[in-house]
Parts: sequence; structure tokens; C-alpha cells
Amino acid sequence: MLLTISWRNIWRHPGRSGVLIGSIIAGVWAGVMISALTNGLLEQRFNNMIDTQLTHLQVHHPEFLTERESQMFIPGAQSILDELNRDPRVFSATGRTLVDGMVQSPLTTAGVQIRGFSDKTERKTTTFHENITEGVFPGDGIRNPILIGEELSEKIKTEIGNRVVLTFQDIDNELTSASFTVSGTFKTSSAPYDEANVFVRSKDLSGLMADSTIYHEIAVMLVQEEIADSLAIELNGSFDGIHAETWYELSPELRYLTDFGSSMTLYVMIVIMLALAFGILNTMLMAIFERMKELGMLMSVGMSKMRVFFMIMIEAVILSFTGAATGMAVAWGSVMLLAENGLDLSGVGGDSLAEFGYEAIIYPVVTQGDFVTTAVLVVTTAILAAIYPAIKALRMNPGEIIRQ
Amino acid sequence: MAIINTYHLSKIYNPDTVPVHALRDVSLEFEEGEFTTVKGPSGSGKTTLLNMIGGLDVPTEGYVEIEGTRITDMKESKLIKFRLNNIGFVFQAYNLIPVFTAYENVSFIMLLQKREKSEMKQRAEELLTAVGLKDKFHSRPKELSGGEQQRVAVARSLASRPKFILADEPTANLDTKSAMNLLDLMETMNREEKVTFIFSTHDQRVIDRARRVITMVDGAIQSDEKTSG
Repeated sequence: MLLTISWRNIWRHPGRSGVLIGSIIAGVWAGVMISALTNGLLEQRFNNMIDTQLTHLQVHHPEFLTERESQMFIPGAQSILDELNRDPRVFSATGRTLVDGMVQSPLTTAGVQIRGFSDKTERKTTTFHENITEGVFPGDGIRNPILIGEELSEKIKTEIGNRVVLTFQDIDNELTSASFTVSGTFKTSSAPYDEANVFVRSKDLSGLMADSTIYHEIAVMLVQEEIADSLAIELNGSFDGIHAETWYELSPELRYLTDFGSSMTLYVMIVIMLALAFGILNTMLMAIFERMKELGMLMSVGMSKMRVFFMIMIEAVILSFTGAATGMAVAWGSVMLLAENGLDLSGVGGDSLAEFGYEAIIYPVVTQGDFVTTAVLVVTTAILAAIYPAIKALRMNPGEIIRQ
Repeated sequence: MAIINTYHLSKIYNPDTVPVHALRDVSLEFEEGEFTTVKGPSGSGKTTLLNMIGGLDVPTEGYVEIEGTRITDMKESKLIKFRLNNIGFVFQAYNLIPVFTAYENVSFIMLLQKREKSEMKQRAEELLTAVGLKDKFHSRPKELSGGEQQRVAVARSLASRPKFILADEPTANLDTKSAMNLLDLMETMNREEKVTFIFSTHDQRVIDRARRVITMVDGAIQSDEKTSG
């Protein structure tokens, strides 16, 4: 009975209810879309960082990350790599030789981080090779090939096939220089990264720095990211002179970014819910003032105050639920529509996102949890917003209303 | 046998600011099966008296008893239930639920009483037929004339099988023909179903039909006469 009367009350003024439902649809759509685009942006950033270079777990000399000295390479790196490659929890592991140095073209020089990759294992571990825009790496038959970022290529005015000179310290702290041939260029979503990093073969770099192959970093991609913490503890306990760290220890800003994204989405949702609450409050108050006599009559003839209260609450819940369900359906449709081609922001200054490590095309990501959270928030907001009008109705004196 | 007793009822509105004496020491007794009119000019206290009897307002002094139960002392939740099962109301402005049909308006009260569905259906159909609205079961209030709406209100007031019906100016918004039809109907209900009616009115057409006429002036009883009706 309450459901019937509430439902019909809503449609007593289809225009007014329609406007409120429309605003709920818009609010929910906006909320879900903001959430989906933020998720997408952060997930792309996260995947970019993890998949292209950071990986789930890294092993270094305990002081390498703070001191960055050439001689701080990983002792017994190959046995650690062998151990990791045997572990079924590990998807892939690769060794990297790292050193800070200078790149010199015939025209200019620039400070860079020289990253020595083991091509085969790096390709299995990360997706960095997908960032190669021109040329090849390492390239057959090319002596000392080097891959440089498009940004750097422009900065030092060099092209594929040109030679550049890398200067760095070997493990004995002696300055070493060698000539490398530009075999390709790359472009990631982070322009600063592209300008500050060059890639060479690990064996070429190791050969110039030491007598044997050395690795300063072992990057590990896991089957399940969740076990990164426990595996890091295991490695630190099993091998001396190393320090294994998870991605969130290595890149706390990435973790903060993920947390910040969730918080920002929540704040935006709160703002939307506040606007929604005032809309519901206003509509329900109007409905109650307009139906004062009717409510007075209902209480006069024997409808309990509790029933009147629930009738008003049900009206608010039906209104908001209708709006929320439609809003979510529209949002789901919009996400599906954008899932294929993404939201291209390059035309509206989205290219500048690359300066901060983000891509100009955002692919929205929405989870079931986002929908559930939105639905719960909307219905809770509706219930909270309807409490005041419902209490206002309860405080009416039926005799007084009828007399008026 | 008296079913309603009021004892020294007084009501003062705005006692702290501008006191208005709506009722002054009103003591009355109503027998079962009465067809009574409370008349008087506007502001004489007719509606206030009916509201007190119906438990819609509380007196400043005095009390109301219905079949020995002092309703003025009841808690609000109990009073609402009491009203549901014992008192029928007919209002001047009909006050039907606009989103319900005539049939739903009548059965709604029985739904609140948690009656059996079959009983509800039978009673609602009987009452609407009795008030001459057999063809208007599924009409909503806005599709009915004023007279028809008031008939639905009468049927609704009877649906709960109340001990008595309080009708506040029931004919005030009706034309002569509709008013006479409504009065015929209520007289029939009174005679055949022994339903007690208490009207507040200053409509002479109602006063002429009543078998007891109570006249109020400035919140007090001026006269209380039995008539031939």
C-alpha cells in the first residue's frame, strides 16, 4: 500500500519529479564518468610505470638507489636471476646495468641515465619495446646500438644512424667514453623521462664498465602483484648484499597517486551527493507543504505517523533509485562507447598531460564496485535528505491542518 | 445509551499571546444513533468541538470520553489507532487521496485496519454502490463532481465501521441538489445502519434534517434542542 501511494505521489507532478530524476541521472552519470576517467588515467599511469619500466619488484645493491655509484652493482646477480626464473610465482625477471652519464652529439651534450638492457629478457619482462617509434633496438649488425627518446633526439639534434658519445664512470671510478650508433627512437607518455634516459645493450655497457657482465638492477614481473611484499622479504632473507623492494616502496608517489585518485573521486562524489541532497530536500519539502491537508487527513483517519514517515521516505528512495539506476545505465553506455577509442584530449591541450607522465587519450575504467558505491551513496543521500521533510510531516497537528 | 461524553471542555488558543477562547465549559452527551447538528456562526467553536470529540485536538480543560474511554488522556499512537477503528470523518473539502480511485479511497481505511482482502472488496463495493457511485469505482477524485467526491468521503468514513461519524460542514461546497442527495444518503445510513452522525454546520438544509440541534455562540452552548428532523 505504502509503495503504491508513494509511487503514485511521485507521478502526481511528472514535470517536477522528472526534473529531479533528470538531475539525479546527470549527477550519477557525472560521478561515474569522473570516477571512470580518473581510474582510467591512473590505471594507464600505473600500467605505464609498472609495465614499461618499474615492474612489481626490484633488487639493488642496498645503497645504489641513494648513492648511484657504478661500483654498487648486485653481487651474484646471475644466481639471483636464475633463482627467480625458477620460481613459479615469477612471470619474468631481467637484469639492468645502470649508470649516470653524458650523451654528446656533434652539436651539444646532455646529462642522461644510461640504461643497459638485456634485450630478450627485457622484452619478456616489460613492454618498453612497444614505445619504439622509429628504427630498431638493438638492431642486427649495429655496433653499440643506442635507443634515445624523441625529446632527446630533438634536443641534441641527432637522428637514426648518427653517432653519439656516452661518457660515464666505470666501477673503478675512471671516466670512460664510447661511441654508440643511434638505432632507434622511443616515446613514452612521460616527456621528462624521454629526455633523460637512453638505452643500450647491457653487455655493451658492462663491457665498458667492468670485465664481466654486471647488473645494478634486477626487475621482476610477478604472476600476481599481491605477493610482491612477501617475495621481497624472502629475497632479502636469502641473499646477502642486496635490497629487494616492491613497486610502492620504489615509487611511493605512484601509490600516493592511486590513493589521491580514490580520494579525489570520493570528494567529487560528495559534492555531487550534496547537490543531490538539496534537490531531494527541496522537492520533498515542496511535496509535503503542498500536501499538508492530505497528510493531515491521513493522520486524522488513522494512518500512523510511522506510516506517513515511511511513505515520504519511500517516495524519496523511489525517486533517487529510479534516477540512480537510469544514471548508471547511461554512464555504463558512455563508458562502453569510450572504451574502444578512449577520450581523446589532445585537441584540448591534452598533449600537455605528457609533461606530467599521462597520456592524452584516456580509456575509462569502471568496476562493479564503482556502480555499487554510487548506488549506495545515492540511496543513502536520498534517505538522509528525506528525513528532515518526513520529520516535518510528523510534527504536523492533524486537527490544526484540517481546521486551516 | 451515551456513546460520547464531553466534560467541561475548554479550549484557549494562544494563551500566552492573544488568548482566543474557542470553547467555554462545554459538557454534552451523545446517544447512539443520533443525527445531530452543531450550528453557530463562524468562530463559534463548532469545528473545535468536533476536533475535540474526534481526538484531533486536545482541550485546555475538561475531557472527552467515548464509551467510557477517556480519549483526551491517550497517547498519540493509541489515539490514531482509536480513531481508525471508532471514528469516521467527513471533511468540508472532501480530502480524498487524489492519486487513488474512488474504490481505493474507500478500501484504504480497511487496509490500514488490516482487514481481509475479500471483506475489503465486498465492503468497498457495497458502500460505493450505496452512495450511488456504482459506475465510478475506478474514477479518481479529479474525475468526480464535488457531490460525488463527498459521497466517496462518506463511503470512506463508513468503511471502517466506526461508532460515529463527525462531519465538518459536509455540504458547504455543494450545490442544493448534491447537498440534498448527500443528506438523504446520510439519513439512510443513520436509519438503516444505526450510524451516529454529528455535523458542524451553518447550512439550514442540514439543520432542518437534524433531530437534535446544538447551537453554539462564542465557544459556549447556547441551546440544545431535540427536533422532529
